[in-house]
This record gives sequence, C-alpha cells and structure tokens, in this order.
Amino acid sequence: MADPTAFYEPEEDELLSSLAVPSFQNAEGYEDDYRRMQELEQHAFAQHAETGEMGLEMVPEDVKRRGEWAVGEEKQAKAAWSIGVEEDFLVLFHQAILENDLPAITTMYESGWNKLTQAHYSASEWPEAEIISPLVQNDQVFLTLYRELYFRHVYARLQPTIDDRFQSYENICELFNYLLNSDGPVPLDLPMQWLWDMLDEFVYQFQSFAQWRANPKNKAEEELDMLAEASQIWSCYSVLNVLYSLVQKSQINEQLRAEKEGKSAEEVAEIAGDYGSKPLYRNLGYFSLICLLRVHVLLGDPTLALQTMEHVELSGGAFLTRITACHVTTYYHVGCAYMALGRWPDAIKTFISVLIFFIRMKQYHTRSYQYGSITKTCERMYALLAICTTLSPGPSDESIMSIVKEHYGDQLSLMQRGGEEALETFKDLYLQACPKYLLANPPPYEDQAALEEYLANPPQDPVQHQLELFLSDVVSVRSVSSLRNLLKLYTSIDASKLAAFNSGSASSSSAGGANGESAQQEQTEEEVLQQLMALKAGSRTYAKQGEGSLLDGERIVTNNLDFTIDGSMVHVEETTSHRRFAGFFIRNAEHAQRVFNTIRAAPLPSATRRPQVPNQNRDQSQTQGQTPGQAGAKPGAGAWQPRRARVAAQ
Amino acid sequence: MPDLSNAVPTKDLKEWHTPSSRTEVIHELIHGVAHCDHSWFWGFNTSWWAPMPTGLSTVLGSEADVSVNADSADRYNPSNLSWMEEYLQSQVRDGEYDLFANLAILKLYQFNPQLSNPEAIINILLKALSATVHGPDFNLCLAVLREPSAILHDIDSDEQSLVAVMPFLQKLHELVRTCQFTKFWSEWNGGSEAAQILRESYAPQHAHLVDSFRVLFATSIASCFSRVRLAQLARWLDLPESEVSQWCAGVQWSVEGDVAVVPKNGDNDVKAGVVKEHVELSQLTKLVAAAAY
Repeated sequence: MADPTAFYEPEEDELLSSLAVPSFQNAEGYEDDYRRMQELEQHAFAQHAETGEMGLEMVPEDVKRRGEWAVGEEKQAKAAWSIGVEEDFLVLFHQAILENDLPAITTMYESGWNKLTQAHYSASEWPEAEIISPLVQNDQVFLTLYRELYFRHVYARLQPTIDDRFQSYENICELFNYLLNSDGPVPLDLPMQWLWDMLDEFVYQFQSFAQWRANPKNKAEEELDMLAEASQIWSCYSVLNVLYSLVQKSQINEQLRAEKEGKSAEEVAEIAGDYGSKPLYRNLGYFSLICLLRVHVLLGDPTLALQTMEHVELSGGAFLTRITACHVTTYYHVGCAYMALGRWPDAIKTFISVLIFFIRMKQYHTRSYQYGSITKTCERMYALLAICTTLSPGPSDESIMSIVKEHYGDQLSLMQRGGEEALETFKDLYLQACPKYLLANPPPYEDQAALEEYLANPPQDPVQHQLELFLSDVVSVRSVSSLRNLLKLYTSIDASKLAAFNSGSASSSSAGGANGESAQQEQTEEEVLQQLMALKAGSRTYAKQGEGSLLDGERIVTNNLDFTIDGSMVHVEETTSHRRFAGFFIRNAEHAQRVFNTIRAAPLPSATRRPQVPNQNRDQSQTQGQTPGQAGAKPGAGAWQPRRARVAAQ
Repeated sequence: MPDLSNAVPTKDLKEWHTPSSRTEVIHELIHGVAHCDHSWFWGFNTSWWAPMPTGLSTVLGSEADVSVNADSADRYNPSNLSWMEEYLQSQVRDGEYDLFANLAILKLYQFNPQLSNPEAIINILLKALSATVHGPDFNLCLAVLREPSAILHDIDSDEQSLVAVMPFLQKLHELVRTCQFTKFWSEWNGGSEAAQILRESYAPQHAHLVDSFRVLFATSIASCFSRVRLAQLARWLDLPESEVSQWCAGVQWSVEGDVAVVPKNGDNDVKAGVVKEHVELSQLTKLVAAAAY
C-alpha cells in the first residue's frame, strides 16, 4: 500500500460492472448522475485525445527536433543543456504566453515542461530566473510565472530550503499583486489547469510551511532569525487575504448566483464586471473558493468552509469537475467538513460520488503528474468511508463498498465489534485519512524567552485536537450499539427487563452496596432509558435534500430500527425495504440498447480483416456513439462542449 | 431562540445556520466578504500587530488606511470584535442563539490570541451547550479553541476560572450528548468550583438558561416517549415533583395520573413501514424512446 498507484487495480469485469451499475440510493438522483458520468467521461476522453494528439502536433517542430537531438547527445556536458533544448523551449513558451496562444501554452505547460523536467531536472533545480531573463527580454511577468513553476518543481522533487520557501512566497505575492493591482485586467490568459495548479500549490505551500514552522526544534540559528523577522510570511491572514481578494475581484459569488438564477450570458458578464468577465479572473476566483474551503477545513472550521461553497454548484456537470484534481480535492474536503458536523450520510454520499467518478476516469488520467496525489486522496476517502459507514450503516453503492471491504475488511469488523480495540481502529484510520490540520498561529519566534517557554510547554497538536473531538463523536454514537442489537430481538420489552439483560457487563461495577434492591433497579432502568434516548438521537441526523446550500439539511432517519417508549414499555418497529431492481434493469436495458446501436452502426466487416475490426473499435465507437443522443437529450449541457468550441475557434 | 412552549426537534437546519433573530448587519458581516475593501488586512497595523511584510504590503494597493467603518465590515477584522461581542451579549440577554456569529468571534480569537476574552468564550460554550443535544455545535466551538491554559497565557490573565470551567463544560457536554440528564443536574448543582462559577456569575446573565436546558432535554424525551412517568421526568428536568405537572402544561403535555402524555411528533409514534421502489416515468424516457423506432 506504500505505492499509491498500486492501491486499486480493478479487475476487468469488476470495472465493467462498476461502469454499468453505479447503483445509487435515491432513485430519482441516479439518472442525472449517470448521465453526468457519461458526459464527464466523454469530456475526459476528448481531453485525453486532444492532449494526446497535440502532444505530438503542437510541440513546435524545432523543439521536437532539438529534443531528439538532445536525447541522442545524452553524453554531452551538462552545461550544454542550458543553452540547448530548454532555451528554445523557454523562448517559445514566452512567445506563446505573449500571444495568449492557449492551446500552445497548454501543451507546453502540460507536456513540454514535464518532459524536460523528467529528462534533465529530475534531481536538480531549473536554472534560476536571473539566468534565463535575457532569453525573454527580461519580461518580468514571464519570469514570475517561470519562478512559480521553478518553486513548484523544487517543492515536488527536492527539499525546499527556507530561502526557497520565502522566495516562493514573495514570488507568488508578486504575481497576485500584478493580477490584482494593475490598472485594469491584465492582458494574460492561462490554461485552466495551470490556474488550478497555481492556487492548489499556493495552499499546499502554505500548509507545508505552517507545519514546518510549527516545530521550533531542529532549526538552525539562521532559520530562527529569519522566522523571527518574517512573521507575516505565509501567515493565515495573508493567505486568506489573497484568496478573498481574488474572489472579490472576480465577483465570482455574484456570477455564480446570477448563473444559478438563470440569467443570460450578457447579464452575467455585466455582473462580473471588467475583471470577472475575463476567463483568467473568473477561473482564479472560482478556484479560490475551493482553496478557501480547504484552508478553512485545515484551520478546523467546517461550517465556514461549507459556507464558502454556498454558491458553488457541486452536482451535475459542475465546472469544477473539469479538472480532476480540483474535483477530488473539493469532494474530499466537503466530505471531511460533513464528518466534523456529524452528518455521516452526507459525507458518505460525497465520498461515494467522487470515488465512482475516479474509478471511471482512472484510465484517462494516469498520465497526469498529479495522478499520485489524486490517488492518495482517494485512498484516504476509502478509509473515511469505512469510518462513516460504520457510524451510520445503511445501503450505499455496492461497487465502492466492495472496494472498502477489500481494503479495510479487518478494520471494518473490528470497528463494528465495538470496545477498546474498535476505538483504536477508529483512531488509526482517522489519523491516516484526515486532513493535516494546522495551527493558526506560529510559535513566538520573535521573542526568545517566550519561544523557550513554548518549547517547554508546546500547545496541543491540531491533528490530535481534532482527533479527540472526532473520537468523542464516535464514543457517543457507538456506546449504544449493543442496546440496538438487543432491541432487534423484540417487538416489545419492558425497560427493566432490558436493563437486566444489558447490565450483565455494565452494572457489575456498581452492584451491591448500601442501596436497596429496588433503588438499584430504578437506577439501571433509568440508565437504559437514557441510552435509548441516545440511540434515538443517534438514529436521526440532518441531511441535504435536493437543492439548497451545503449547510442546509432536513431531519432524516438513518436507522431502520425504531422504537417508542410508553412509560417503561419499549415498542420496537422495524422498517424493511424491498430490494431495488428497477435501476438495475433500466441501466442494463439502456446499455444493451447502446451496444445494439453500436453494432448496427458499425460497418460490415470486410472479408480480409474480419476477426479484428469489431473488437478493436468497440470501445471507441461506443463512447463516441453516445454523443449525438446526449446532445439531443440535454442541449448544451455537455460540460466539454464550450471548451471544444473555444479550441476550434482559435 | 429555543421555543419554550414546544419541545419538538426542528425539522430542518435553516434556523440553525441563519437564525431569524440575526440582524442584517451581522449577516453582512458573516457572509459579506465580497463587499468590503480589505484595507484592514494591513490597515489595522497598530502597535500590537506585526510589521507589514515587505513582499505583501502592496498586494492590495496603497490604501493602508487605519480607519475601518461599519460598511467595510468583515469577519476577520479585529476592530469589529467589540460589537461582535456586544451581539453575543444581546444573545445572552435575550436568549437568542446564533452559532455562526459566535464562531466568527472564536475565529477572531484564533487569529488574534491576544484579544481572547475568557468570559465571552464561556458564554459561547454555554450557548452551544444549551442549544442542541446531539448537534455538533459544542464541538465546533471547541475545534477553534485551544486549551484554556494556552488561551490565558496569551492574554496574561490572572483570572484562572477558564481553566476550571472549560473542562467542566466539556464534561457536561458529554453527559448531555449521552442523555445522562440526571447526572448533568447533579454536576450542575454540585459543589465543584466550576459549577459554582457558572451558577453564580454566568447563569444569571443568561435569560432562562436553566429553562433552555429543560426544554432541550424535554425535546430528547419527547422524541422517544409517548408517555413518561412524572417521577422520572422530575429527575431528568430537575424539578420538584409538585411542579412537574405545571411544567408539562407549559409544553402542552397532558398529565394522566402519574404519567405525562407527550403529543405525537413523528418520532415517538413510529410505525413499521415497507420502503418500496418507485419508478418515475422520466427514468424510462430512453427506453420508451428506443421502443418507438
């Protein structure tokens, strides 16, 4: 399990079954969800094909040639590289950015840069910005963007020094300063993926710095001095400031609200203003909201996190699903926030919906350099799912749950059994899967005496703090599970009898003594009644129903076992649910129809190549074959359509 | 505000995240991040605040104006703290409850530890404690607080009551969420230092605090019991047996002999049911369309 990519490799037929049957709890939702999956898949496929082709076509000819030349001359002195391939690459990169040539920037960003990194800089830094500045006529904007990539590479592949951390911060601030404080919107356009990566990295570096700074031990004298002087670097305030400024500048909340109200594109553009109507600012604002969600979760404030997402559409072909890393991050943090609110069914729904997506998208994303971290996040979500489904059992997606059982089977049975061991298991799983919570404030580096006192008496670790709160939730939910198992056996039972059964373990400690027998009886009966109330409360929760903000919820029953107490008589009622067949048959009938259409549309096999043709083309034509029907069913709803139109227009 | 005349669980969370008692100004403050200029992020650069960072001072332009008026209200602005605390006081006084506003206060304490106000913290925790039996409110507040000693350390306070009171409140919360109401009352009325502090200096500030606890517990009881013995009720609500009948009348429970009859509320009159599958016509559109050819 050390290698995240090895985490889950679905068997061929398992994958097929999960493709065919994403069985959802709520019957009304599944149709939309299924359609959405298809759209996403098509989108991912289109993207995949696009980058695949462009990877060959769009890398400028001479770079490719030089690249081949470079690989051929592998043994040449290292110095030659800096005037070789990268030089040309950077010049062309600069050119593309000056011309706002999005497809070219995309290719160079997503494939060119990574390929060169892979080939020459897998263990060292790219050249410093000062060295390359003559190449790009000292273009400060480009150099800032270049440094952003430079530091991201350092963080990803190497060990960042304190200088790297500080400079990276200053650089990103310079970039945001340029974007926010120029006279009017800047004439720059960057691919969506890059903008997401940029903000994602911004929060990641903040998180990494906060963790590193939180421990004053093992720091060199010089580092301590620098930290003492620069208490504002990567501070919560400054990070929030940047994110909120982007949100505000792009008027993204107003835009999203207007879109939700169904206003026309012109009206939305008017609301968005000069900045927000430009894709650069709009995307930055949108991703800032998601980064805010993340920061608030990390700082232990789930309600504020969900409140930030008030206007962001999560379901359907939402904008955020167009970038897989963004999609997965968002759902992970929303799920974690729901867990902190004790809204287990909502957390389960959130995790399952993104995991289904991930399994289906897997095949298209193995190439992305973030694939590893996406997989890791998904792995955590399986662990959290194991926790949530234990705390709030109920029907959920079978294909996902089978994966959970496969990986956490032992833990699941331990947690369900209860007792001390169960608590340990909850703890282990939670620590393994929870976000890396942060302290809001740094240690007092500026004050030597205070720092020593701080070291002698360090504050509680934030992860530990959250863990304690989580465990207190678990204890209150789990303590009554044995009572529930007892109730299952009866249709009605007197509370005192129940007390006698239940007291086998509980009352042995308090038995005997001066209390009379009847007082003792009274006591335990009261205890049982209290436990029953706790059980009742534990089987009710609030869950999001249909439309509304993430914080909204209606009271629901999460348990099929319910009861009423009349005086001291407990009446038990059990709700049974029939198995659901319709969804299965509908999906498979539709699937059969698609297969049939595909076969009917396929050309007749020619005599010579008869055996191979249908097999080879099946997958592809099947996916493509859906396109017209899809567009007809829901015009303009395909998340990928505008993008393709835009690419074509350029 | 807890409705003292009716002990039934609320159906949705609207009142929880946006209480009707919340004023427009507070709402703007909690939600209205986008409407303000952020000058105070650097602008409130008074003596206690760290010097302005060189790299960032320009991020939001040069308008580093110290003045912050009410229009540019924002939840992170420490200069709003005083009237946020005033709003808390009004909640305490009038028996209203606004969790999100209170969390915003705790947020300011989190970011500006030197501004922490132990009294406000205790009031917020008391508010959260008396608001729900099983809601996350109390833990949400704890999540943004540190240990009491660390909080007091940052404000150089000699007043140590927080150290005793916070763990005590946590203990009460554990008792409440596991519905051990009898124990709760014996702790609350007990002789520990924290209980005395709470009873003597905090409870009197709150409008009907003890009554809110009673209604809160009654809500739990109502969701379980169709009939409950008065003697039991008296223990859970910490009422003398002679007053129980009267109290029941207040929440519209009728008394028959030695039991109180709780009106049906959906939770205490459960019926066994069978969940059947429903298929909407819209789910079949594709199949019907395919059949049409």
